[in-house]
Amino acid sequence: MSEQQAQVTEAASGFEPRIVAFLCKWCSSAGSDLAGVSRIQYPANATPIMIPCTGSVSPLYILSAFKKGADGVLVSGCHPGDCHYIEGNFLARRKIQLVKEMLQFIGVEENRFRMSWVSAAEGAKYSEIITDFVEDIKALGPQTKLKADRT
Amino acid sequence: MIKIQDIRDTARDMLAKNEVRAVIGYRRGSRGMQAEPVVITRPEQADELVWDPTCVHNLALNLVEDRKALKHKRETPKQPIAVVAKGCDARAVAVLVQEHYFKRDDVYVIGMSCEGTGVVDERKLANHLNGAYATESSFDGDDFVFTTAAGEQRVPAREVLADRCLECRNPYPKEHNAVFGEDKTGRELAVPFTALDQFKALSEGERWEFWSHHFDRCIRCFACRSVCPMCYCDECVVDSIKFPVTGQTSAEEKATRIRWIDRSATRADNAGYHLVRALHLAGRCIDCAECERVCPVNIPLRLLNNKMEQESRDEFGYEPGASLSGPSLTSSFNENDPEEFIR
Repeated sequence: MSEQQAQVTEAASGFEPRIVAFLCKWCSSAGSDLAGVSRIQYPANATPIMIPCTGSVSPLYILSAFKKGADGVLVSGCHPGDCHYIEGNFLARRKIQLVKEMLQFIGVEENRFRMSWVSAAEGAKYSEIITDFVEDIKALGPQTKLKADRT
Repeated sequence: MIKIQDIRDTARDMLAKNEVRAVIGYRRGSRGMQAEPVVITRPEQADELVWDPTCVHNLALNLVEDRKALKHKRETPKQPIAVVAKGCDARAVAVLVQEHYFKRDDVYVIGMSCEGTGVVDERKLANHLNGAYATESSFDGDDFVFTTAAGEQRVPAREVLADRCLECRNPYPKEHNAVFGEDKTGRELAVPFTALDQFKALSEGERWEFWSHHFDRCIRCFACRSVCPMCYCDECVVDSIKFPVTGQTSAEEKATRIRWIDRSATRADNAGYHLVRALHLAGRCIDCAECERVCPVNIPLRLLNNKMEQESRDEFGYEPGASLSGPSLTSSFNENDPEEFIR
């Protein structure tokens, strides 16, 4: 079965990816709210989890989400310089880059893990990011590599 | 060329004058030619010390254990403890000092330069000697000399050197109080990250095939964690046994407590364990490759740690063990850190 055919079957079977989105309380979370109140349409596949700051995201959160069957993980926070805690997102940028590199290194698809900067005013950007992410993951199919066997 | 008598004299001297409370070094073990770590506290024990190509252990681990024992006994001794340290061991000491695990003055580093060689890889040696059993080993310039039943055998060091020693650029312990051997910093026996770069050239599918195979094989004996001088956390995330269960703990609390990584040796949990360990060692691992050496199922753990080392060097310009002060890799940032991957 070619890759394209696989994608078609995937679409036919109605695969709906589950995305875990770690959203900074001070920006991305409000950004997703804004997308909601502005009535922007975007896929409902992302489960938002509010975190105090992207700097507080431990690699464990990400691995744990994948282990519990997330098809994709998004970490979203404030633009550099806008952190409520002054430098949390700068620290996150380093840490997340290491996690991203590590996941790619062991052979997890690049598109399964993403980071973005979304401010409280960027509802449209948030909807765009989720739409793109869902599309990319639909093409990849369900995540089985890091998922625990038991349910 | 290092004379073992010099090291013994130094150790004996310091112990006799009561300048240090103990010396951590190597002695002849009970398994063939292999050396083993030893902690000596009396001057007359100094003659036990050895220095040969089988001194593979990272003795910074024994410093950590000493610190843990002192904490348990609630003692704060005045004299430092001396440690025999190769280039890599000295870097480990530097990282521990940088992390304030102990103070620089608490340790007296007897530096040993590996000069043009390093330590032996037992598996490579077994192949090289064709099954012959070596009972003794010694350095001789750029060669190793092994004593087998058939007599002495001279082997060029680079043929049986551990991979990490081949790739080592800093065989000279930068951080030391006393030092033996020549400074050969920057020597080139092999290109650093050879295995890593080969692995990185594989496709995504091949990489996952490789790692899933190894994650499946891990038996979670935690030898890699036990042997690592940087794995000194009092509580490790994989040990769910420390969850306090009292009479008041309800069944629900027991059932819903956070277990980031379960103890069962399944692929997903093993992957979680190894990834978290590698990430926690990012910018701290000084590439002593002890984890890979002790692994009973031969998981190439050094690849994971090398990946983080290369990343921190190339992207953030951070060299683990290079300085005694200053922030660590993940507790600092640069405004120009890469962010092309962020949307």
